[in-house]
Amino acid sequence: MSHELIALLIFSSMLLMLLTGQRIYAAIGGVATLFALWLWGKGGAEMPYHASFILLNWYPLITLPLFIYMGYMFAESGIADDLYRMFHVWMGPVNGGLAIGTTGLMVAVAAMNGLSVAGMAIGASIAMPEMLKRKYDKVMITGVIQAGSSLGIMIPPSVVLVLYGMIARQPVGHLWMAGVFPGLLLAILFALYILIRCKIQPELGPALSLEERRQISWAERFRLLRAGIIPLLIIFSMTGLFLMGITSLVECSAAGATVTTVAAWMKKRLNRRVMEDTLRNTLSVTCMFMWVILAAMSFGAVFDGLGAVHAIENLFIKQWELSPWGVLIMMQVTYILMGMFLDDTAMLIIVAPLYVPLVIKLGFNPVWYGVLYTITCQIAYMTPPFGYNLFLMKAMAPPEITLADIYRSIIPFVLVMMVGLAVVILFPPIALWLPNLYFGK
Amino acid sequence: MRKIIQNFIRYTEAVSKAVGRFSQYIVFPMMGILLFESISRTLFNRPHIWVVETSQFLMAAYYLLGGAYSMILDGHVRMDLLYGRLSKKRQGVADTITGPFMIFYLIFLLIGGISSIDYAIRYGQKNYTPWAPPLAPIKIIMAIGILLMLLQAVVFFIKDIDKARGKESS
Repeated sequence: MSHELIALLIFSSMLLMLLTGQRIYAAIGGVATLFALWLWGKGGAEMPYHASFILLNWYPLITLPLFIYMGYMFAESGIADDLYRMFHVWMGPVNGGLAIGTTGLMVAVAAMNGLSVAGMAIGASIAMPEMLKRKYDKVMITGVIQAGSSLGIMIPPSVVLVLYGMIARQPVGHLWMAGVFPGLLLAILFALYILIRCKIQPELGPALSLEERRQISWAERFRLLRAGIIPLLIIFSMTGLFLMGITSLVECSAAGATVTTVAAWMKKRLNRRVMEDTLRNTLSVTCMFMWVILAAMSFGAVFDGLGAVHAIENLFIKQWELSPWGVLIMMQVTYILMGMFLDDTAMLIIVAPLYVPLVIKLGFNPVWYGVLYTITCQIAYMTPPFGYNLFLMKAMAPPEITLADIYRSIIPFVLVMMVGLAVVILFPPIALWLPNLYFGK
Repeated sequence: MRKIIQNFIRYTEAVSKAVGRFSQYIVFPMMGILLFESISRTLFNRPHIWVVETSQFLMAAYYLLGGAYSMILDGHVRMDLLYGRLSKKRQGVADTITGPFMIFYLIFLLIGGISSIDYAIRYGQKNYTPWAPPLAPIKIIMAIGILLMLLQAVVFFIKDIDKARGKESS
């Protein structure tokens, strides 16, 4: 059997196993082990375990539990309530303003978190009820929260960029810097979309009524601006110190987790229940990710053993005769398609090692590609039938939001994100200007 | 026989829960060590050679020892496109068919783990770093985590068989 055929067989076995609804790590790990034994016999038997030792030596992975911990702690700390209120008061008078304000809130949350979970929790528990109360269109706001919270993996700190950095052997500092403007660009595009949509259909996002606005004094409005101070302190102690070269990457996640805990304590939100919930959720989510990554590593090793990198290069360049740009676009399209149907985190681990060598060989900048990869990841996490964000949203949103609402809500935002992706592809300096300026290249 | 199985389920879950509840606190020493190091290095110019590996070992212990508990918490996502639409009983049938697959994967993880411990003890294997800690202890901890995960997977398999037969086991 040719290697291409075996690779195809492995991929379809994985898809089949995932469809049975077995736990993802087990489906992927089982397929990998089975094929390792079949291809290499006894030599393949230790391959699954070997992955755990590679993971042990991936030092930056320690940021994962710490960022997850921080996300849960942040959502409980009450810092986000004040922040939401600030955006609410300042943006409320515009049609669709609360939705735009929520996008702003999501940017702030993303700057303090490496994943989208915290943004989702905060959006669903704080922003969503307020907007529903004021007759905002539920499909639109569901989309706003989904799209907005996905910025968590783009705006630094970002766990996805840490994973990408490990796989592609690129410095995380450069990658995080490169994520700043594309993240803001996406946020601006979201805001523009909301603004235009609500201009045409004002009933989707009614402005705050005059009497509600009168109730808020100007003193109160300016007092609320102070809500931004604690977030700035958190951002400084975490991302700031890291980018200044004072703390290492892993240390910065520990600093962030500590500062957030202290902030929660100062806001008198830290009690036994919060601590217990945070620790249990952190363990649960970390284990889910780590076991998926562990299984995906073995899967990737089988693929690597088959020479999949060369097979893909062969297919794209020799057989389909694509130009470098054609290859690049093909990679993003296949990744979005796979991300729709397969597990997103596993795809990140399996696909990146296949694509990155090719990207470098074709002369593209791997840091810039990391940004493209992350935008694609954001899209993959949101698109049905399979996406973590969809599950999370269903679990966290008020009961009147149905699964159909959630599916419908993401369509315009995915289109907007694809526009964003195209813009970053066409204008690489959006990503690369900041790291080049800062690290002087 | 029924009695033995019930006891097996009860004790396995109790151990998984106890170990998981212990390991959820491992984030604190991880945070503590890293914070200590960043302060010690930047303010007092005294870096320590054991920090990186100790935190790596803690991380490995954290997710492997916590694995079984995270399964009890139902923390592992499934692709529920089809699965989510099945009745409880049908879900039991699906899991009974695919459960051995999970057990198969975990058995090979465990085999790899044990042979790696064997190697580490026989040759007194140390890490290739300036600190050079012996690797056997962490490997044993990792294998314990994998073993617990395996036992827990067997427990789920037994429960899934009951579910498939339309019985809800305690």
